[in-house]
Amino acid sequence: MPAHEQETATAASIRLESLTKRYAGQAEPAVDNITMDIPAGEIVVLVGPSGCGKTTSLKMINRIIEPTSGRIFIDGEDVTHVNADQLRRRIGYVIQQIGLFPHMTIAENIGMVPRLLGWNRARISERVDELLDLVGMEPSAYRARYPKELSGGQRQRVGVARAMSADPPLLLMDEPFGAIDPITRERLQNEFLRLQSNIRKTIVFVTHDIDEAIKLGDRIAILTKGSKIAQYDTPEAILTAPANDFVADFIGSGASLKRLSLSRVRDVELNQWAVGRLDDDRAQLRQSLTESDHGSLLLLDEDQRPVRWVTGHDLTRSGESLDRVGLPATATVEPHATLHDALNEMVTSRVGCAIVVDDQRRYQGIVDMRTVMRAIDEMRESSQARDRHAAVQPMEAG
Amino acid sequence: MTFLDYISGVPAYLEREWSDLLELTFEHLLVVLVTIVLATVIALGLGLATYRNQSGARAVLTVTGTFLTVPSFALFGLFIPIFGLGAVPTVVALVLYALLPIARNTITGLRSIDPAVVESAQGMGLSRRQRLLRVELPLAWPIIMTGVRVSTLMIVGIAAIAAIVNGPGLGGPIFQGLSAIGTQRGFNLAFSGTLFVAVLALLLDGVLGMLSKLTTSKGL
Repeated sequence: MPAHEQETATAASIRLESLTKRYAGQAEPAVDNITMDIPAGEIVVLVGPSGCGKTTSLKMINRIIEPTSGRIFIDGEDVTHVNADQLRRRIGYVIQQIGLFPHMTIAENIGMVPRLLGWNRARISERVDELLDLVGMEPSAYRARYPKELSGGQRQRVGVARAMSADPPLLLMDEPFGAIDPITRERLQNEFLRLQSNIRKTIVFVTHDIDEAIKLGDRIAILTKGSKIAQYDTPEAILTAPANDFVADFIGSGASLKRLSLSRVRDVELNQWAVGRLDDDRAQLRQSLTESDHGSLLLLDEDQRPVRWVTGHDLTRSGESLDRVGLPATATVEPHATLHDALNEMVTSRVGCAIVVDDQRRYQGIVDMRTVMRAIDEMRESSQARDRHAAVQPMEAG
Repeated sequence: MTFLDYISGVPAYLEREWSDLLELTFEHLLVVLVTIVLATVIALGLGLATYRNQSGARAVLTVTGTFLTVPSFALFGLFIPIFGLGAVPTVVALVLYALLPIARNTITGLRSIDPAVVESAQGMGLSRRQRLLRVELPLAWPIIMTGVRVSTLMIVGIAAIAAIVNGPGLGGPIFQGLSAIGTQRGFNLAFSGTLFVAVLALLLDGVLGMLSKLTTSKGL
């Protein structure tokens, strides 16, 4: 088997070898002999029902929980018995409750590990500002604040910044978005993916939420009791070919809908509906609408930002100014949103489609039902191809 | 003579004797400060050594609590055969009294810290000692300081009783006054001694309150 090449200097590969944790007085081990390779630069999500030992497995990597037996390798180095404090300074760690130090400012929180590592003041403060920028918080506004002055989402961002302060090649995250309201969680997940596409760290992520696992993971390990691996594969493979009934049950119904979470808007071909400008001539707009095969036309402002949906009826009504007629252009998604997000917007929109805009909110195109159906067809074809391939190979029992 | 008659004699007495009273107050203050410093060091040590250990902490609280139940008259007297008379038995007895509030608040304070904060400190690679000094003690500090204030208030009062072992401070005039109660002179002594003890207690509490505020992080 070829060894995993380290893609960048900033990510580390991990190998867990027969890792086991037994607690005194308990018949069953909490983690029973888990062996797992985690490639450098990927997000690997450990997911499973509560009590399956996923958090214990995670916490053995930085030895917050000392393994009973087995070994841990980081970049090939056996770290099972090295000094735990020094090991942890090389590993970022984010927990659900974040655990910011309430008596320290945001800058002091983020600068903690660099301070332990003996960086000088100037370098620490430069790093703090860089990280605050990276997680989307204005350094001059937040540096001197205390954790109690921040919202839950902001604390979570600071927690991530703090974990990355000494630029560790490896991040461990234990349900980091678990205690956050659904809307903020969604936003933080998207930010997290954008961040990871820049930093390319190795991230081990624990969650009990299969949808979060599918959205964030490059690979997912589905764990059963005792942290036994039921399936360890890419989200696509797990959704299209669950290894056993446990995995199929855990994914739950709606696997095809979940697969929509794997395709991003930027990866599909966008539809183009009729568009016009607010200051265009009405006759011209009517003509564009008639030539299109859709019922509505999207009006943009001078910066190409969507403003209103109008129908032929709205355009014939004279007197009203164009930015008053029709319906407001809501239901917008950005290119990194998933088709699942787009579908969600689509069904709540009265026009029946989602408008794709870039990060400046400029119009890019339209995702409608046809776009989604095309994507589902493609996925179905690829999974049928896989099934045909499996049919020529001997099946395992069951 | 009514109480008001007695009271009306006090201002003249204070005017005459204020420099002696101030000197005694200063002695009293010194005894209290030495006691509180020693008690804080000992109680903090006991608290730090036992807060993570259920039975150890209970033992510390039971023993220091028992000291408080011994009548102060008796405790001072019991030390005469060992330490003789004067400042030494006074301070020893007072330290024993002062331990419980500080030890209890140290243990409570350290235990009340959010476990997530301690775990994240551990996960960041802070050693046991660094966790204690940089995270746990600063977070428990306001609660520990409250214990110190309670002990101080208590000790200012009890220190007056140290006069029975010839201890220094404002206990002297109070006891003299009580032995001559019924006379204007006795009233003057007891009343002015008590008054100065009360004023000293309030001043010290104010100073410690300010100190606590200044040494506690604004983030708490």
